[in-house]
Amino acid sequence: MDYFFFIDLIQSTVDGLLFGTTYALIGIGFTLIFGVMRKLNLAYGAAALAGTYIGLVVFLMFDAHPALVFLASALGSGLIGLVVYLCCFRFTPSNYPMASLLASVGMLLFIDEVVIHASHGLPYPYPSVFRDAIIELGDVWVRGDLLFVFFMCVVAMAALFWLLYRTPLGLATRAVSQQPRAAQLCGIDVTRVNMMTFGIAGVLGGIAGAMTAAAVGVLSPVIAMGLTVKGLIVVVIGGLGSIPGAIIGGLLVGAAENIFLLLRGVTERDIYVMLLLFIFLTLRPGGLFGSAQTRD
Amino acid sequence: MLEIADIKTSYGKIAALKGVSLDIHDGGLTCLLGPNGAGKTTLIWTIAGILKAQAGSMKIDSEEILGLKPHQIVSKGIVTVPENRLVFPDMSVRDNLIAGAFSRRKEKGGIEGDLEDVLTRFPRLRERSEQMAGTLSGGEQQMLAVGRALMARPKILLMDEPSTGLAPIIVEEIFEIIGGLRDEGRTIFLVEQNAHMALKYADRFYLLEQGRVTFSGEPGAVDHDEVIQRAYLGARKAS
Repeated sequence: MDYFFFIDLIQSTVDGLLFGTTYALIGIGFTLIFGVMRKLNLAYGAAALAGTYIGLVVFLMFDAHPALVFLASALGSGLIGLVVYLCCFRFTPSNYPMASLLASVGMLLFIDEVVIHASHGLPYPYPSVFRDAIIELGDVWVRGDLLFVFFMCVVAMAALFWLLYRTPLGLATRAVSQQPRAAQLCGIDVTRVNMMTFGIAGVLGGIAGAMTAAAVGVLSPVIAMGLTVKGLIVVVIGGLGSIPGAIIGGLLVGAAENIFLLLRGVTERDIYVMLLLFIFLTLRPGGLFGSAQTRD
Repeated sequence: MLEIADIKTSYGKIAALKGVSLDIHDGGLTCLLGPNGAGKTTLIWTIAGILKAQAGSMKIDSEEILGLKPHQIVSKGIVTVPENRLVFPDMSVRDNLIAGAFSRRKEKGGIEGDLEDVLTRFPRLRERSEQMAGTLSGGEQQMLAVGRALMARPKILLMDEPSTGLAPIIVEEIFEIIGGLRDEGRTIFLVEQNAHMALKYADRFYLLEQGRVTFSGEPGAVDHDEVIQRAYLGARKAS
């Protein structure tokens, strides 16, 4: 293997791992919601994108500082997460999983349409930070903007772990995801925990959306499907319901995607990512961390 | 005192409780016996607010509480130790106990002290306090479920079949724990299949058959064999 190819490979892997943290966040969002409700929220990726657009509106209307734009994206997405909960999950019968699943598909299509109409289907500039900063590690360059994306996503994950393991709400969330009946008997309001989980997962999705846009400096309506599909691939690989699984899955997909991009080009990249998904579905359907555990 | 009057609960069109009335007096062990399918667990889930009753009334200290949500029932001081224990398997023993005090999370202090009390009451739980609850034995999980309920400072402790699936020697141990709680003056409502053991400890008992209370009394005043037979097999034909 010649030296320059080797450097390219390392470079692709590093970029992929840094950007993969956004996939990890999306995967965590899917996994959190599945954890407490044992239901998939397919509108999750679209809601994250719509939240990011709320940040974009703040940017375009007030020419706001990037920090404010990112904050608006995160909070906007959290808010939309609550709306999705109320529309698709709160009142649908809990013993018919298809009801909420199809409601969330409807919500995915609806949000997607709204975003496409509002943006006329065109990409808009989105604030990006540390674009020109480069850290040179020998022949491998670490891009400042990707490093920022990585940093923000890691901070979001750390905040989530703090919330889950150091606060009463986190204790309640873990209790509901492990044994919802017993959680009720401990005096935990399961409905409230479910709603909070949608809000928190939404905020994480908004951060992922904002960082996805910040990494390229552009926000495009077509990434709704990308966020959804990547998020689902990540949770299949990591194991649905496992947060560490979502993190590892996200990094793996990020790195693999970039390596395939280098080896086979942009047109074939997704084929290989799907092939990776296929391999996991056939050989290890429970994912890396996983067991699709049964409860009760 | 918890007064339950004429409670009716159904699963779809199938009536499981056809008008159950009973009183749980303060202090002492009230026991509910009955054969499989009599509706014992249905009654527990109805009291806990997890199943909705179609009719009836449930009053604690004269306050109507039927129809409240499960977490509201807990904050009224009615706390359930569920059948099959239902511990949080991937949480440490300590976190399981702290989760039990969730309804008291806004209290200043008190919880740490109660945690200490529970760990002193169950030394086996102290030894395993950092262990995941899913790795405990059945008997230890039952102790954890009882400890978790005590963390809520219950006025009334509901226990659903604490002896299920445990070896006879462990069952004796669990009943000694229940007897100890009774001797402290706690109010306990125990649902049991093991009528033989339950009658040894009960202050009062009710017999539930096919969704109705058919018999009640004090263990000293009745023929144990007759009650035990009916508790296992259901009513005998009148002779």
